This record gives sequence, structure tokens and C-alpha cells, in this order.
Amino acid sequence: MNPGVTMAFDADHEIMAPTSASEHEPTVALHRGLTLVTLWHVLGVVAGAAMMLLARRGGDQELPGTIGVALQFFAIAAFATHAYAAYGIRTRRHHARSASLVVNYLTFVVAAVAVLHQFGAFRAIGSLGEGLNKAFIPFLVAAIGLVWILVAGQISTSRPAAKSPPALRRAGQVLVVVGSAWFVIAADPTGMFSAITDQITSPLTLASIGLAAGALVATRFMWHRDVGRLFGTTSSEERTLSGLAFLSPNLIGFLFFFAGPLVFSLIVSFFDWKTTGTSRSFVGIDNYVEALSIDFASSASANAGVEALKPGYQVLMHLDWFGQNWLIGARDVTFWLSLRNIIVFLVLAVPLSVLPALGLSSILASELPRAKIFRAIYFVPSVAGVIGVAIIWGQMFQSTVGWINYIIKRAGDILPFVDAPSEGHPWLSSNSTALLAMVIVFAWMNFGFNTVLYLAGHQAIPKDLYEAAEIDGARTWKIFRRITVPQLRNTTFYVLITTSILALQLFDIVWILSTPQPGGPDNATMTPVIALYNEAFRNNNRGYASALAWVLFIIIFGFTFAQFRRDRDAATPGGVS
Amino acid sequence: MSVRRKGPRATFVRVGTYALLIAVAALVVFPFIVAVSTSMKRNSDIFTYPPSLVPRAEVTVSDAERALDGNTVYDFAERDGSWVLVDDDIPLAVFAPVGGQADDVTLAADAGERTGDIMVVDGEDVFLIDVDGEAVEATRVRLTVGGLFEPIDGGDQIVELVSAATPQREFGPRFENFPQVVNEKNLGRSLTNTLLVTIAVVIGQIVTSILGGYAFARIDFKGRDKIFMLYLGSVMIPFVVLIIPLFQLMLQLDWTDNLVALIIPFVFSAYGTFLMRQFFLGIPSEIEEAALLDGASRWKILWRVMVPLARPAIAALATFGFLYAWNSFFWPLVIINSGNPDNGLLTLTLATLGGRSSTDTNLVFAGAVIAMTPPILVFLFAQRYFVENSATSGLK
Repeated sequence: MNPGVTMAFDADHEIMAPTSASEHEPTVALHRGLTLVTLWHVLGVVAGAAMMLLARRGGDQELPGTIGVALQFFAIAAFATHAYAAYGIRTRRHHARSASLVVNYLTFVVAAVAVLHQFGAFRAIGSLGEGLNKAFIPFLVAAIGLVWILVAGQISTSRPAAKSPPALRRAGQVLVVVGSAWFVIAADPTGMFSAITDQITSPLTLASIGLAAGALVATRFMWHRDVGRLFGTTSSEERTLSGLAFLSPNLIGFLFFFAGPLVFSLIVSFFDWKTTGTSRSFVGIDNYVEALSIDFASSASANAGVEALKPGYQVLMHLDWFGQNWLIGARDVTFWLSLRNIIVFLVLAVPLSVLPALGLSSILASELPRAKIFRAIYFVPSVAGVIGVAIIWGQMFQSTVGWINYIIKRAGDILPFVDAPSEGHPWLSSNSTALLAMVIVFAWMNFGFNTVLYLAGHQAIPKDLYEAAEIDGARTWKIFRRITVPQLRNTTFYVLITTSILALQLFDIVWILSTPQPGGPDNATMTPVIALYNEAFRNNNRGYASALAWVLFIIIFGFTFAQFRRDRDAATPGGVS
Repeated sequence: MSVRRKGPRATFVRVGTYALLIAVAALVVFPFIVAVSTSMKRNSDIFTYPPSLVPRAEVTVSDAERALDGNTVYDFAERDGSWVLVDDDIPLAVFAPVGGQADDVTLAADAGERTGDIMVVDGEDVFLIDVDGEAVEATRVRLTVGGLFEPIDGGDQIVELVSAATPQREFGPRFENFPQVVNEKNLGRSLTNTLLVTIAVVIGQIVTSILGGYAFARIDFKGRDKIFMLYLGSVMIPFVVLIIPLFQLMLQLDWTDNLVALIIPFVFSAYGTFLMRQFFLGIPSEIEEAALLDGASRWKILWRVMVPLARPAIAALATFGFLYAWNSFFWPLVIINSGNPDNGLLTLTLATLGGRSSTDTNLVFAGAVIAMTPPILVFLFAQRYFVENSATSGLK
């Protein structure tokens, strides 16, 4: 290995530390290192060009925005930056160091990811599931040991005089070691290694490994302080470089798994893109038009059908408005029905999960003993997991032996005004009550969370307001009406918005509870997200489904935006955002 | 407010307040009680009316002298005492007394003497049967199979339709539901898979969020505020919009039907970064500056100074990550092939198991209880961090 590079390795442990070497003039080793980095960049230019060609190969079958195109862009950028860095380092350009660092770091990341991908290391993460399944008991042993160590640490900080914690800690460490060793033996990771050794002989893999290693070494060398001094890097630039370095794991993932897909989704929504066929043609806003088109027709009879509407439209609903029969038709009836359902759901479910929270939080906030226990209990449904909760409620709503019908019946026996049907009411398979059942489950799950949000709002109310009111002899109700509610205005707004956004994306509860198929019966519980899921993954109509997603996003964004505007306008205490 | 006052009226109000709080708590807890009791029931016990909160087993009798070996004990609506079912495969006949006034009588299939008469109306044979010692004319309605019952203390045996009797039940939880659902319904593999995904997501989120949060909070670099606005804005994007492109990305990476698709895209958390940033902003910068002057690198300062101070925020982040990953359903439903048992998650397996065509309700509930226990326990232990932070940040 080159002496300059080794030096960089040795001296680089403390990046920001003023090392003794920094006081010297640039050494011979440093210059030799820079020469090597220049050569490396020349190699990088070649690699970039090669990558450009490689990425082109698979790129023409897919839509724009896919990985192939992204790689091509990266290759072009890398090509240019490597060239600039090679030239800049030679001529000691001011920005050459930053350019070299950025391009080397990114080359390292891309090459390393490519190597791991070729090794199947990512897919191997999935296979870890099998190992964990086989070695679950050793895993538990190690986990208990870990918790043990933490508890021992807690005890030793709270009671420093106690003698037992070191022994406890030792026992925990033994457990962790034994558990881990046992885990490795039981999980039997040999299969993973064999997959890796199979791949290592591929020339592409070897090239990627070389690229990753070279880029890593070059990055470490260029990061060194002495190099920075040589190129006259200012402290502001130094900060930018470290800031980006710290942010990079997060930012790269953010761009790759969030921003990129987001843009891709918007593009796809303008394509007629079905995964079943090969047709992937640009259709402009046709998907949006298809989703949103509705047609009105007035008709003489209440039973007028499709023939009264424009071609391509289906009957959405009949309206009897001042004696005139109106017929409303839509091209995508399911989506419109889902919009209608979700609005009904919103109107019922949001007040039902917010108003109890307002009342309960006002009680819990009034310095009541044991309030924390109630707060914890109310919170549990929102953390228990929606699938389990939905399964429980499915049994509660069961028509013959369900608790809901039983309780209504018993209430009917005692209270004369409760009119219990003699037959068990089929809550979930009846068109009129299926959505109501979903409302109940949703409200049950979310009111506790909202209660906690309100409790935070209560903390911001000045206590002297209440004291003044009590001195005046105001009644509890009046205090609630005149002080609590107005003071919680911002919290209420926030809670309403977040609950609405959640309600608009209703999916899991309906998926489990609706019969005979998700969204049933007769689309009575069809929600936009279920409609979208069906379009995208049942009908394989990805372009159209993306358009539905953006329509839904715009609706949700309306709520979010209202929240954002308000936050900005009223940055006052009491709001909990 | 009023609860702080004294006097009889205040006491009254206080009792009322607690009654209200307890009523709501009961409303919250009751479905969970139903779940726990159902998870320990036998399937036949779930579909009885009226519903019961007590898991019950059928009462059985074993008595070698009377050749009884775990025979079920029944009650009859119209007979006193308890009856043991001795044999449930007896040929029976149901007779309807002529005249239509008296109730149907169930007797052994060979009981009754054929009188030779024939009913005029419908051409049925008329039999002479013995009802409480009296001979009654009756027609044979149908032949069937029923049970031979014996009084529990011994005595004359009777024959009767089994459906006319109700089995006696007593408290008897069936704990075998849990091992059964874990082993037979593949919930064990789903449990470890869920654990793997959850741990990986939590650890990944903590690491990337600490690094990103530190950069946003403490390093004043060019473009920081713009990137931060981008992160803030991303919190507003509903996940629904990302489903299709993310699925397409997974297809290209060949990550579909693989647990890695549930891990890697979710270790980068804009929300977690935001949370850590807020916490780091609250740490006095003097601590860091002192360490910088001592010659420590940023990397060292972050892990040696900042991270130990940020333990509450990390605990909150870990709890959020845990609950999110453990309970997530939509994305796994899209990306994991539900027919492949090796990649099942708890939520997916439960949804398939407890879906529209579910048969083993007791096993489904045992699975649901297994799936719900860890998040509830985590919440109860981490409540302090969790509740504080959900209140200040509003993550749902």
C-alpha cells in the first residue's frame, strides 16, 4: 500500500483534532497521496463512462424515473465530477477537495450498495427470519441478559452504595454472551456465506468491490485536515462537508425511498399504465378525468337508469329534490361511492373521537388523583394494533352471539324505550349499519390518543384563569364553556385535523371487518384507499390508481394545509404542534 | 375545578366523576377482556347464546364401574337432574301423538307396536306407544339417531335427541389454543419475522435519526434550512401516495415478497430526524463547545456527549418505531405474498386467519392476544416518554 494512504489512515482518527502533523508544511507523503488520488479520479472517469454504458443497457424498457435512468444520471454526474476533481487536484483548485470528497463518497455508497445487492445481502436480511425462528430461545436468553444489564445499570445509578449490581451486571453479560453464541450456532448462517462466496468471482462484483474500496480510501485521505489546509478550505465549507456527511445516510434514503418514488408516482399518474399488458402510453390528465367525471340528468321517473346519462357513465345515485328526480352518474362509480362513504365516515367518526376526548381530558386535567391510570387505559386501544382490535370487534358485532346485540337486548329488557330487534341485527353485513360499525371501532381506537393530545393543551392554560373564575363562584359547566373550550381552540383545531387525515385514509379496519369482500356489502364501506388498492393490485391498473392516490392526496393536503397555515398564523402556546 | 372543592356536593360530584371515568375505562377494557376470554375458549363455547366472559369446558364424568370414560353431562329443559350421555349413536324415532294436542315423543326406533290402523288424512301407520305408563296412539314422524342418557347418580336410562339437551359447562380455560395457533397456524414464524422487522427498523431509525437530527440541530451548513423544510414537508405526504411507486421500486430491486422490503425503506424516518433535532436543540451548546475545545471530533461528541443526554428522546423514538413496525399492515399486505408462510407477519397472518372465511375463532383470538400483548407492554413500560412526545409532536 502507498505510504501516503497509510499515513492518512493512521492520522485520521481524530478528524477535527489539531494534530502535530498539521503544524508542519505539507509533507512528501501528502503530495504523493494527492498524486494517487488524481490517478484514482482518472480511473473514476473511466468507471463513470463504463457505468453510463452499463446503465443504458437495461434502461429502455421502463418508464422514466426508474433506477436505470437514475444510475445513468449518477454516472454522468460522476464522470464530470471525477474529471473536474482530477484536474482540480493537479492544479490545486479551491473547490477540488470538496468535489473529490463528494464524488468519492457517493461512488463508495453506490458501489458498496451494488456489491451488497449482487451478493444478495439485502435479500439475505429477509432470510434472517428463518434463523431467528430457529434460534428464538437463544435470542430470548440474550435479550433477557440485555434487559438485565440495563436494569442493573438503573439500580446502580439509583443506589450507588449497593453491592449487588456488579454481580447482576456480570450475570447479564454472561447471559448475553451465552445467548449470542447459542444463537449463532442455532441460526446456522452458513447458507448466507455460501451465497456470498458464489458471487465473489463475478467480474462485475470484483470491479464494484475495487471501486468501493478505492473510493473509501480516497475519501478518508481527502478528508484529512492537512489536505483541507492545502486547498484552503474555509471553516464554513468544512461545516457544510461534515453536515452533509452526518446527514447523508438519512438523506440518501430519503431521496431514494421517498422523494424519488413521489416524483415517479406523479409521472405515472399521467400514463395509461397497466402491468398486465404492455401499453404504457402518455394520456395526459385522462386518468384524473376518468376518476372525477360525474354527470347530472333530470328524469321523469324515479327509476331512470343508465340510458339517461352520457355514454360511459353509470348510475351513482338517485336524488329526489323538490319533486324533481335527479340522476347522478359517474364514470368511476366505485371511487365516487368511496368518496361519499368517507365523507359520511368523517362526519360521524371525527366528532365521536374528538368530543369525548375534550370532555375526558378536562376531567383528567383537574388534578384528580389516579388520573394517570385512566389516561393510560384510554390510550391502550391506539397502540394495541388495528388488526387485533378489528378482529375483536368483528366478534363483538357478530349477529347471533355478539356482545353488542346481547347488550342491546338486555338493555331492551330493562329499559322500555330501547327497542331491541328480536332477531340479532347483522351489523357488518347490513348496508345501513356496516359503516356505522366502522365508525364505532375507529372512535374507540382514537379517542384515547386525542385525550392525551388535549391534556398537553390543558397544560398551557394559565392556572390563574381558573382561580379567578372560582373566586367569582362560577359553576363547573360555565368554567368549561367559557375558559377551557376557548383556551383549547388551537388544540381542538389540531386534533380535528389529525383525526380527519387519519379517517380519510381508513383502510385496515374495513379490510378486516367488511363482508363479504373488502368494502362490502354492496360498496357500503368502500373507502378511497380500498378502491385504490383494488385498482392497483387487483386490476393492475397502476397509472389510474396513482391518479386516485393524488386525488386523495389533494383532499388530505387541504386539511394539512389548513393546519399549517394556522400554525404559522398563530404560533401561540396552547397549540401543540 | 369542582373536584378540588369540599363539602357534600363536592363529594357527590367527585363520585360522579369517577363513575364516568370508570364507565369509559370499562368501555375500553371490555373488548380486551372479551378477547382474552375468547382466546382461552373452545370453539363450541364461543358460539353459544348468551355470550359468556368465562371460558368454559363441558362437564364430564369418568367412572370405571359404570363404564363411563369422560362422558359429557347434559341438562334437559323439561327433565330434572343431570344426565350422562352414554351412547350418542342410538337409532331413534320421533312419534307425534294422534290428535295433535300432545308434544312429540322421542323413543327408541323399535319402540311402539304397529296397530295396523292407518291415518285417514295422510296414510301414515298408527303406532301404540307408551307415554308415562299410558298407551297412546301416535304416528311416526321420522327416524333419526340420538343419544342414550343415564341419570348422573345412576338409574333408568332414557333415549332422547342430543340436540334437545344442553351440555353442562364449567370454568375451564383451554390454554392449548396458544401453542396450537403458534405451531399449526404458522404464527410462530410470523412472530419471529415481525420481531426481526421491528428490531431492524427501530435500530435503523435510531441510528439515521440521531445522525440526521444532529446535523440539523448542531452543524450550521449551507442548504440546511432548505433540506429541513423538505423533511418537514414530507411528513404531510400520506403513505398512500407512495405505495405504487415503492412497490415498483421493490420489483426492480427484486425485493418483493421479502422481509427486506419492510425494513430498508423504513429505516429512514423524517419524523424521527425531526424528533431528534428538537431534542438536540434543547441541549445547551456549552457542553458541546467544551468538548470541541478539548479536541474531540464531532463524531465523538455526538456519541459520547449528545447521545447519552438524549436517552429520553431515543426511548420515545424507539417506542414509536416499535409500535409502527409491529402494527403495520397496509405495506406488508401489498409487498408480501400472503400465500408464502415463510414471510408472514403477525398482522398478515392474523388477517388471513381471522378473515371472512375463518373457522377456528378461538385460535384467531389466541393469535390476536399474542400479537397485541407486546405493543401494550411496551406502551405501559415506555409510557412516560411516549405520552410526552406524542403530545408534543402529534405523530399518529
